[in-house]
Amino acid sequence: MNESSSPSPDPVSATKGLPQTFLASLLALLLGLATIFLSTDHGRAFTTETLRRSEVDRRPTLIPDFPVIGADGKRLNLRRWMTTDGRVWIVDFVYTRCQTVCSSLGSVYQQLQAQVLARGLQDRIGLLSISFDPAHDDAAALSAYTFRMRMRADTWQVVSLESMADRQRLLDTFGIMVVPAPSNEFEHNAALHIVDGQGRLVRIVDYDDPAAALAFAMSLRQ
Amino acid sequence: MKRAQSAQAAIALSFVVTGTAMALSMPLLRHLIEQSMVWHMLVQMPLLVLGGWLSARVVSAFHRVRRPTSWNRYGLAAFFAVLSILAYWMLPVAIDRAVVLPAADLAKIASLFAGGWLLRLAMQRSPMMIQVFFVGSMVSMMVWLGAYFATVDRRLCNAYSLESQVAAGHGLLIVAVAVVLLWLVDALRNVHRHVVADPAARHHIA
Repeated sequence: MNESSSPSPDPVSATKGLPQTFLASLLALLLGLATIFLSTDHGRAFTTETLRRSEVDRRPTLIPDFPVIGADGKRLNLRRWMTTDGRVWIVDFVYTRCQTVCSSLGSVYQQLQAQVLARGLQDRIGLLSISFDPAHDDAAALSAYTFRMRMRADTWQVVSLESMADRQRLLDTFGIMVVPAPSNEFEHNAALHIVDGQGRLVRIVDYDDPAAALAFAMSLRQ
Repeated sequence: MKRAQSAQAAIALSFVVTGTAMALSMPLLRHLIEQSMVWHMLVQMPLLVLGGWLSARVVSAFHRVRRPTSWNRYGLAAFFAVLSILAYWMLPVAIDRAVVLPAADLAKIASLFAGGWLLRLAMQRSPMMIQVFFVGSMVSMMVWLGAYFATVDRRLCNAYSLESQVAAGHGLLIVAVAVVLLWLVDALRNVHRHVVADPAARHHIA
């Protein structure tokens, strides 16, 4: 097999095919750039996380109406329940066994709860944690979590899916990807998800920026 | 006789490499690339490129092109295509898509295999200065991204854990070094061939 035929030093053919080569090179380069441009939301989103946020900004998605259970064991339909009192919700995803990012999300939610209560906003803004681990998180686990996080029922609630079958659709709707992590934990893209009074996911904010989430939620109410 | 044997070995090798790479996307082995960025980016992707390269070598053995094709003088067009393909598959958003969407995974297999094929066409027809430029850009892309993956404390791929991302970052740096070494060996061999100026050596079966 011919490993390397040396570039032709033949002076007659040295420029032959150069225009074609120029066009082909340009085409390859433009195709590559166009593909990259189109698949990154016009060069703005190089990660899936930024992409999902800008998609939600442009096109709010109605959240599904799955049956969920609360810490009191009561069965609810997620969207119907979230839209009953017209509150704007700040939603995050948890599993109650979580030790890593959830504990910092937990403290972010504790700050948010304190803020909401201090400003008397609890009938305008609700905090909701949804468990994506229905296998472990039954009413008892949720109740223990409520206690551990010092949740105030009028401000901050936690629910878990009633059926394991709904899990993937819930995660897909919000764009959450859960991956197994060492010592039987999960890793997932944690963020603050703002759901408006009509049950639409309208904005996703970094979880270390609760002030922005609160400000955006307030702006929806006015 | 010996020539036929080595051709058979080359065919077998290209099938094994391409087959292994494709098997990593199939049900039995798929969990490897789904759970580890290292398996995905540093095992499967390079194997696909290598498979394309080896297949091109097999085909060119049977189907020798005498003159450089006119659209690919100095390997330029093929180099630009390879650069585009590699750049695309280094995007975290593209890597995530290949994990989640079967169609994207198929596109990955096809484009990286084609990338390997084109890389060989490019390397065969390019003078050393052009190789330095293109191999240099590919390697610097890998070094930059590898260093970024290895040091950033934020997950860039939603499909992989931070731990996996850091490992992939270190792996990319190793691959970058390996590419430079492979290219150096190839370049020195070519130089040697010219110095020796043995026409028979140019058609030597690698």
